[in-house]
Amino acid sequence: MHPREGWQPDGTRRRPDLSRRQALQRGFAAALLAGGGATVLDACAPYLVGPNNIPLPRPNNPVTWPVAGNKAIPNGMAPEKGATLQVYNWVAYINQACVNSFAKKYNCKVEVTTFNTMNEALSKLRSGLKFDVLMGATIDVLGDLIESKLIQPLNHSYIPNIQQAWPDFRNPYYDRGWQYTVPYTIYTTGIAWRKDKVHENPYAMANPWKEMFFQPKYKGKIAILDDYREGISLGLMMNGIYQLNTTSKQQIDLSRQTLQKLSALVDMQIDNNDYSEVPDGQTWIHHAWSGDMAAAPSYMPKGVPVEVVGYWFPKDGRGPVANDTNTVLRSSSNPVLAHLFVNYLMDEPVAVENISWNGYMQPLNAITPELLVKEQILPPSLMSTAVLPSDFRRGIEELQLPVDADALWQQAWLVASNGI
Amino acid sequence: MAHLPPEQLEHVPDPAARKRARKRAGERKPYQPNRGFWILLAAPGMIWLLILFVVPFYAMLAIGEGKLDRQTESPVAVYAPWQWSSANLGNVWRDLFGSGAFVGVIAWRTIWYVVVASLLSLVIAYPAAYFVARFAGRRKGFFLVLLIAPFWISYMMRMLAWIDLLQTNGYINKVLSFVGLGSPDWLGGHWYTVILGLVYGYIPYLILVLYAGLDRIDPSLIEAGRDLGLSRARTFARVTLPLSRQPILTGMLITVLPMLGDYYTNQLLSGAPNTSMIGNLIEGQLATPSAGQGAILSLIVLLVLLVPMIYYVIQTNRAAQAAS
Repeated sequence: MHPREGWQPDGTRRRPDLSRRQALQRGFAAALLAGGGATVLDACAPYLVGPNNIPLPRPNNPVTWPVAGNKAIPNGMAPEKGATLQVYNWVAYINQACVNSFAKKYNCKVEVTTFNTMNEALSKLRSGLKFDVLMGATIDVLGDLIESKLIQPLNHSYIPNIQQAWPDFRNPYYDRGWQYTVPYTIYTTGIAWRKDKVHENPYAMANPWKEMFFQPKYKGKIAILDDYREGISLGLMMNGIYQLNTTSKQQIDLSRQTLQKLSALVDMQIDNNDYSEVPDGQTWIHHAWSGDMAAAPSYMPKGVPVEVVGYWFPKDGRGPVANDTNTVLRSSSNPVLAHLFVNYLMDEPVAVENISWNGYMQPLNAITPELLVKEQILPPSLMSTAVLPSDFRRGIEELQLPVDADALWQQAWLVASNGI
Repeated sequence: MAHLPPEQLEHVPDPAARKRARKRAGERKPYQPNRGFWILLAAPGMIWLLILFVVPFYAMLAIGEGKLDRQTESPVAVYAPWQWSSANLGNVWRDLFGSGAFVGVIAWRTIWYVVVASLLSLVIAYPAAYFVARFAGRRKGFFLVLLIAPFWISYMMRMLAWIDLLQTNGYINKVLSFVGLGSPDWLGGHWYTVILGLVYGYIPYLILVLYAGLDRIDPSLIEAGRDLGLSRARTFARVTLPLSRQPILTGMLITVLPMLGDYYTNQLLSGAPNTSMIGNLIEGQLATPSAGQGAILSLIVLLVLLVPMIYYVIQTNRAAQAAS
């Protein structure tokens, strides 16, 4: 599931996430273990393929997508005049100020249409809806987008700002040579907690994934994310298993059983309201996304300092990380503007403005935790929500699974999330 | 043939003679309903039902008995019955009765919540409806407006309001703390909060139905009971309550059916797995590769719901016959 699933246009998430239904194929890339950076092979063997034999990109199995029969636009074209750029994006996933400034700069109109799930976006694109830019495309659907010829190869000459991106994203394993994608946002999955209510420090624990949650004294005040990949991954990590793309039924069952035990012990809740529930004290320990917790200052009740909110992500980087991408659609009638738009969003000042509203970081060299603190986008107490290049080298991504393994994950989550 | 009284006309054996006799008697032909006219009148309703019930029902069946698109990992509806697959049915059977069965617990939990919530609703709604129907007098309109008022606000908004009210530092806890009753953790995933939400969410429907039924009770019947020496309580028990049986049945049906399929109340006010209802289970399967199983489960719930529906229809028919 994408963190923006279930959000509303005003920038708030439906509560609870109306689309509790999980996105099917959230997959991301790069699965690297800490301690020497050994690649996690678990279920990511190079021979793995997805539906219709589309290769599943893995850090140890980088994919160069074919471009035959799907040409990029020529060099040196002028931006379309008097055009209306159609942008297709997750709900509440871009600062309107950035959209407006782009429209002003290029003397065009920009219309943003939103979707709630990646599946919804794919279905609508397949049905023939035409847009210029698809924002926030997750790694797992790239193969599908390319095979279906829904997106077009990028002409790099229009996107010089790629040089501002972290090196890992200038030649990502999921799209060698960034032929179709540029990076958009990045985030980690960790644990948010109220320091004034919970005095245990996750940084002092051997396995916070387990020890922070298995605390019956906080019964009714503990919640985990409502997402089958994040949920089952949490259960795996509670057992010290960091193969977050496992296809092993035994491991998946173990994770399910652990979550069921947790549910019985602490009456845990399952929701994606980490961004508001922790600040307002509704839950004290919440499995959380970094981008959500970066937005915590906006949700603090009057008189409660933001310093009471903590966010833990393993210092050794051994935790879930993810990113998504921006692409130009093949149906684009303004492909030059579309290229310029994805380029514009990677310009540092624009990115800073975008992050100030969106909360989710972008993997640009100039965007550092220190900068975000300096710009008062991030309080110093929540610097741990900032994502570093090293997180992507050591972190673990929840990648697209083979269909049968995915079904095992879904079934395990169905049982665990219904509290049997 | 001499002029015959109308009641004897029917006994005249020859239809032609009967017709002549009727003519002589100046009697008009008995009213014969125009079948085509009534079919025409029923057509919009039937089309409505066809489009919004029969077609979706079959679509759901086609999804439940359909297959999985392995590329998009989404269900594909199969409309030709001879191509149906029993895979989803088998999976639901496994979840219901297999070694790893887990649906039964959720089903029983749902029934338990709905029974408690329905009874609570009835206990609250009946006196309210009775008061408006019998004692509101000139203010009946005002009270009716109050009863209908919740419908002006969407169900979601009403539930969201409860979240604010029930928060740890919400108004409910402020009042409870003020009177020394502590600050319960209402939103910590408790069954009683879910039941509270269900009662609150559906009680307006019950009150309105009960009001409509109670308002139609002929006051002279109640007066007769009193005249015959019954106390107020016995008049209520022997006259009013039996006469309100049909409205109670209708009201309960109207509230129980949506409660059984409800998932949003639980999701909003609890979100905890240990309060999950059958609606949550089905909802959790939507937009996943298991959507076909969700479709089968929905159909099973629909079949189960048919039982009270059939009971209601039978009771209504009996009541109608008794009345005639």
